Amino acid sequence: MRLDWKRRDFLKKTSAAAMATMGMGAPLGGLLSSCQSGTNIPSTADSVILLYMAGGMAHTETFDPKKYTPFRKGMESKEVLSTFPGVPTALDGIEFSEGLENIGKIIDRGTLIRSYVAADLGHILHTRHQYHWHTCYEPPQSVLVPHIGSWIAKELGPLNPVIPPFININQRFTVGEGEELKAFHSAGFLGSEYGPFLIPDPTAGLDSVRPPVGMSSKRFEARNELYEKLVQESAMGEFGSDYQKESLKRSMEQAYALLNSPEAKAFDFSQEPKEKYDIYNTGRFGLGCLMAKRLVDQGARFISVTTEYEPFVGWDTHENGHTRLVDMKKMIDNPIAQLVKDLDESGRLDRTMIIVASEFSRDMLTEGRPGAQVKDQVEVPDIIEDLKNYGMHRHFTDGCSILMFGGGIKRGHVYGKTADERPCKSIEKPIKIDSIHQTIYHALGIDPETNYEIEKRPFYTTPDGHGVAEMELFA
Amino acid sequence: MLAKKPKLFTYGQKYLVFKLFAFLFLLTFTIPDVVVAQGAGGQEEVFWLWKFLGRLHPLAVHFPVSLLIFAALLELFTLTSFHSKLRPGINLLVLAGAASAIIAAILGLVLANAEDYGGSVLSLHQWTGIGTALLGIMALTALWRISQKETKGGIKVYRSILFVTALGVSVAGHFGASLTHGEEYLTSVLPWNEREPLPEIDITAFQTSSGSMSEEQEVKLVGQVRAVFAHNCYNCHSAAKIKGELRLDGKEHVFKGGESGEVIVPGDTKNSELIRRINLPASHKDAMPSKGKTLGSDEKALIAFWVEQGAPWPEAAESQSVFRVAELAPRNPPLPTSKNGLENPVDLWVNDYFDKNGLDWGDPVDDKTFLRRIYLDVLGVLPSPTDYADFQDDPAPNKREAWVAKLLSRNDDYAMHWLTFWNDALRNDYTGTGYITKGRYAITDWLYTSIRDNKRYDQFVKELLNPGEESKGFIEGIRWRGDVNASQVTEMQAAQNVGQVILGLNLKCASCHDSFISDWKLEEAYAFANIFADTTLEVSRCDKPLGKKAKTKILWEELGEIDSAANRPEKLRQLAENLVQPSNGRMYRTLVNRVWKQLMGRGMVEPVDEMDNEPWSQDLLDWLAYDFVENGYNIKDLIYKIATSKVYQLSSVGYEDPLFLVDEDFEFEGAIRRRLTAEQFSDAISQVIYPVFDEEAIKFDPFELTKQEEGRLEFVRASLVANNDFLKALGRPSREVVSTSRDSQANLLQALELTNGVKLNNALKNGAEKWITQYGDKDILIHESYRQLFGRDPLQREFQVASEVLSETPKVEEVQDLFWALLLTPEFQIIY
Repeated sequence: MRLDWKRRDFLKKTSAAAMATMGMGAPLGGLLSSCQSGTNIPSTADSVILLYMAGGMAHTETFDPKKYTPFRKGMESKEVLSTFPGVPTALDGIEFSEGLENIGKIIDRGTLIRSYVAADLGHILHTRHQYHWHTCYEPPQSVLVPHIGSWIAKELGPLNPVIPPFININQRFTVGEGEELKAFHSAGFLGSEYGPFLIPDPTAGLDSVRPPVGMSSKRFEARNELYEKLVQESAMGEFGSDYQKESLKRSMEQAYALLNSPEAKAFDFSQEPKEKYDIYNTGRFGLGCLMAKRLVDQGARFISVTTEYEPFVGWDTHENGHTRLVDMKKMIDNPIAQLVKDLDESGRLDRTMIIVASEFSRDMLTEGRPGAQVKDQVEVPDIIEDLKNYGMHRHFTDGCSILMFGGGIKRGHVYGKTADERPCKSIEKPIKIDSIHQTIYHALGIDPETNYEIEKRPFYTTPDGHGVAEMELFA
Repeated sequence: MLAKKPKLFTYGQKYLVFKLFAFLFLLTFTIPDVVVAQGAGGQEEVFWLWKFLGRLHPLAVHFPVSLLIFAALLELFTLTSFHSKLRPGINLLVLAGAASAIIAAILGLVLANAEDYGGSVLSLHQWTGIGTALLGIMALTALWRISQKETKGGIKVYRSILFVTALGVSVAGHFGASLTHGEEYLTSVLPWNEREPLPEIDITAFQTSSGSMSEEQEVKLVGQVRAVFAHNCYNCHSAAKIKGELRLDGKEHVFKGGESGEVIVPGDTKNSELIRRINLPASHKDAMPSKGKTLGSDEKALIAFWVEQGAPWPEAAESQSVFRVAELAPRNPPLPTSKNGLENPVDLWVNDYFDKNGLDWGDPVDDKTFLRRIYLDVLGVLPSPTDYADFQDDPAPNKREAWVAKLLSRNDDYAMHWLTFWNDALRNDYTGTGYITKGRYAITDWLYTSIRDNKRYDQFVKELLNPGEESKGFIEGIRWRGDVNASQVTEMQAAQNVGQVILGLNLKCASCHDSFISDWKLEEAYAFANIFADTTLEVSRCDKPLGKKAKTKILWEELGEIDSAANRPEKLRQLAENLVQPSNGRMYRTLVNRVWKQLMGRGMVEPVDEMDNEPWSQDLLDWLAYDFVENGYNIKDLIYKIATSKVYQLSSVGYEDPLFLVDEDFEFEGAIRRRLTAEQFSDAISQVIYPVFDEEAIKFDPFELTKQEEGRLEFVRASLVANNDFLKALGRPSREVVSTSRDSQANLLQALELTNGVKLNNALKNGAEKWITQYGDKDILIHESYRQLFGRDPLQREFQVASEVLSETPKVEEVQDLFWALLLTPEFQIIY
C-alpha cells in the first residue's frame, strides 16, 4: 500500500509545529516563498557533523600520500611529493600519511573521496574559498547567502526542539580576517533565526548555555519568574496579542528552556568519563569533536567543528609545513577516529553523516591549479637548504581529499583518484562543491530543487540548483 | 403503556451488510497492491480496467457525500424523537452511505495508484476518505447495536459518530476538490483572497464582430499572455533557467517549443502541449507550473483563447511591457479640499484614501505614547521623566508640532540616530570584508556631517555619485582579492547599489542576463555600469564574455545622455547632474518612501527597493515627492510634515502575521508597531541604566570633526561603535550588502544573547550599583525604574511584583534582575 505521508513532509510539519510552539517562526522566513519540485527523497541521515580543516589541508600529506621524499639539505624543491611516509590503513592498498594511523584504522567505516576540486577564484584568499565551501556560492554575492547549516536548519528545523539546529564550534572572530569569516557564518536572507549558534571555545561551551556567569540557577529561575509576572501584570496588557510581542515572549521562553534544559548538559564535559575525555582532548578541536558527539546524542541537527582559521596558523602553512603538520595530525587523528567509533558503537552513525573537508589542498610548487596558476604568495627556493622550507606552502585547488562517514554513506569505499606525479591533480571522477552539497542534502532528504524567492528571483541551495548528489557514495 | 419498538433491521439485511463490509474492507488493502504490481517493473501501461475503475471514483464519491450528509441532516431534524417516521429512511441512508463510501474509497485508491497522483493533498484526501468509510461502518454498527439493545447512551454514540462522519465526508470531499481543481479553487473566489491582480483579463474585449482582431487588440492580447508567462513560467523557462529546453521569454522561443517538440500549435488548442499541461490537475506529474501556484481559470482561458485565435504575436508587441513600471516623471496631484478641519497635506491625502477605501480615522495616541514615539523616531533615544512632564504640562495648543521642531533641531542627536539608517543603506561600516586588501573606503565623516547639516538631498546624491575622497566609498564598492564574477566587478556593484538605494530599482538580475523579473536588459545594466568605469566594460552574460563593448547610458533616456568618450570624472559629473534633476520623480519618490517607512513602519510602496510596485496611495507618494523637491530637498522638513500629521499620531497597528506587511492588498490604518532596533535598545540602556559601550569602543567620534569644545557625548551611542555580537544578535546587519530594512522579529539566538550575554549583563550590573548609590530606597528605585524606562509610574500590581523581589535596601543582584525583566517586556521593546 502506498503511504504518502512522506517522511520529509512529516518532518517539515512536525518541525514547523515544534518551531511554532518554540517561537522560531521567522519574519523573513515567513515572507520568503519557498518552492520545491515535490520530489520525494527518503532521507538516510538526520544529523550532520562537519569537521573542517581550515587553512588548506594538503592531500599529499594526509589522506592521499604520494612518494615519500625525505628531507635532505640541498634537495630540489620539485622533487618533494610527500614529506611523510605512507602507512597502511584498514583498506587494502590504501595508505594514509604517517600520523593518521587512528583514522586509518576506521576508514573502512566510511568513504574516502580523493578527487575534490575546488573553485578557481584567482589570487587565493582563504576566506573566499571558505565562503564558497560553506555556502556553495562564490563571493561576493549581491544578496546575503546562507551557510549550508542555515539551509539545513531552515529546511529541517531542530531535531530536538531545545537544541539550536545549527551549531558552530571553535571559530573565533577576533582573529585575522574575522569580518570575512563572519560573512559566511550567516543565515543570509533566510533570517537570523537560522544563523549559527556560536561556541567559539568548546572548553567554555557551557557558558553559552547556562545562566550568566556568577548567577546561580535559583536566581536565574527567579529572574525569569519575575519577567513573566511583570509581562503578565503589565499596563500594556490591553494591547492583547500581537506578532512582535508574542515572538519576543516565545523566544525568551525558548532561551530559558534551553538554558534550563537537561540537554544543556551536552555542553558539560565534566559528565564525560575521564578516559574518553583524554582521548578527545588534543586541544580545542578535539574537545569540539567531543562536544559534537555529545550534542548529536541529544539530537543536534547540524554541527560544524573547525580546526579554526587564522591566517598563517593551523593548516595554513606558509613555512615549516612538514614540522607543523606533525602537530596538526596529532590534533585531529584521535578525536576524529574516536568520534566515528563512538557514534558507530552507539548506532548513531547510521543516521549521522560526518564529513572531514578543507577549502583546498596545498602543494610545494603549484599556486592555484595547473594551467591557471595565480600570483605566488610564498617564495619557494629551488634548492632546499633549511627544514623550514620543506613542506606544502602554496595553495593548490585541483585535488583534495574529503572523508565521509555514516548517514547512508558506503563503508570502505574509495572514490576518485589523483595523479601520483606532480601536479597531483584529480584524474578520476573530479567532484565539485555543488555536488558535495547536493549529496549532503540528498542524505537529509532535502529536495535538490529547494529554493526561495529572494528579490523576486529564485535562489537555490546551490547556484541555479546545479550539482547532483553522487549516488556512488551511498550504500 | 408500553409501545412495541419497531425493529431497526431485518436479519437478512444484517447478514448481507456484514458480508459486504468484510469483503470491501479487505479490498481496501489488497487492490492498491494489485494495481501497483501491474504497474511495477518499469514503464508498462497500467492495465486499462484499473484506469477505468479509477476514473469512476469522481462519479462514485457523490453518493457518500450526499447520502451521509443527508442522513446527518435528517438525524439533526429528529433529535427529539429517535423513532420518528423518518427512522427507516435514515437507516437506509446510513447503510447506503457507508457502503458507497467504501466503494468510493476503493475506487479512489485504484485511481491514485493507477495514475500519477501524489503529494500531501492526496495523502490528506486519501486518509480522510478511508477514515470516513470506516466511520460510516462505525455509525452503522452503532445503529445495529441500538437495534439489539436501545439505550440513551447508545443513541448518543451513534448520533455523534454520524455527525463526525458527515463532517469527515465534507473534509474528504474538499481535499478531493483541491486535488482536481487546485488548492485555491474554493478560497480564491472569496473577496479577501483575490488572486494576484493581473491586468484585467477580459476575453470579450478581443471578440470582434468581424471575427478578426485589429493589430492593437492583438498586441494587447499577447501582452496579457506574456504577463501570465512572466509571472508563472519564467522562473524555469527563460534565459536564466531553461527547463526541458523550453523558453517562454520571447516570440521565437515560444514557437520553437522544447524538448518534447512544439508547445503551441496556432489555432489548435487540442494539439498544443502547453494547453494540455496547464489544464492538468496540480498533482499530475506533467502539470504546469510544476512549482508554485496553478494558473487561474481566467488565465487558462486567456491562453486557450489566444491559441484559438492563431496565437497572434505582431512585431509591435515587442515594445509592450509585461511588468508594472512606475512613472518616471514627477506628478503634482491637486490637494483634496480641506475637510473635517484637516490641514496637513498628508492628512488630506490619507483622508481621501480612507474615504475611497471605506476606512475610518482611528483615535490619536496620548501624549506619553506620542512623545516616546517621536523621540525614538527622530533622535533614537527615550524621553526623560522631565521631558514627559514638560510635554504634558506644555499648554501650547500646537505643542506636538513645536516639540517635533525642537527635536529636529538637536542636530547631533538626530545625526547619530539617522547615521544607522544610512550606514545600512550605503553599506558603510568601520570594519569589514575587503579591508584586508584595502579594497574598501569608509565615508563616515562625510555621511555624519551631511546628516547633521541636513544637506540638501540632491546635493547629497551628487556627492555620492560624483564623489570627492571623503564620499567615494559608496560607488567604489568592495574590491575583493582574486577574480570575481563579472556581475560583481566594482562598476557593476556601483550600478546595482545606485539602482537599489537611490532609484528603488533591482538591477541585480540584469547585471548577469536579461532580467526575468523586469524589462531591464543585460546591455542596459552594462551601459549604466559603464558610467562608473575607467575603461569600457566588456559585456558578459552569466560570467561569459560576449565579445561586445558596453555602451554608456543612463537607464532612462529621458534623463539625458552621458558622453561615452568622456573620462570617468566627467561621466560621473554628468550622471550626478542628470539623476538629481527634478524630472527624475522616481528618485525622490524612492527617498520619501524610505523616510515614510522609518516613521510609519511600512513604506507606501513595499519592498522599499522595488519602486515599480504599486503604492497604497499613489497620490500621497507623488505629492510628497513633488513637495520634497519644491521645498528644497529638505529631509528634516519632510520628517516634520509626516510627524506632525494626524496620520502619524494615529494608534499603532499590530499584526499577527508578518505577511500582512507585504500583502498586495495592504490597507493603511496607521503606523505599524515596531521593535526597538539594536541601536535604540542599546542607547536606551546606556541612557537610563549604564553605558553599554565605553569610550574605547568608539570607532567614530563626531565631536572630533567639529573641534567644538562644548560638544561632548553624553554616552557612547551604538551607531558610533563597530558591529559586535550584541548589536548583531539584535539585528544590526553585517553591511556586506546594502540593507534597507531591519528584521525586527525576536528569535532564539537573540534571546540567548539577551539572557546570558556578557555585554548586557555587565551594563545592568554596573547600572544596579550606580542606581543603589543614587536612590538607595526600594520604593524610590522601583518608581524611578518605571518612570525612566516607561515614562509612567508603576501600577499597584506591578509595584507589588517588583517589591517582592527587592529587599528594603536593594542588593545589586536584585536590581540587576529587575532591570533585566523590565527591559525585555514588550512595553519596553516595542514602539507603540
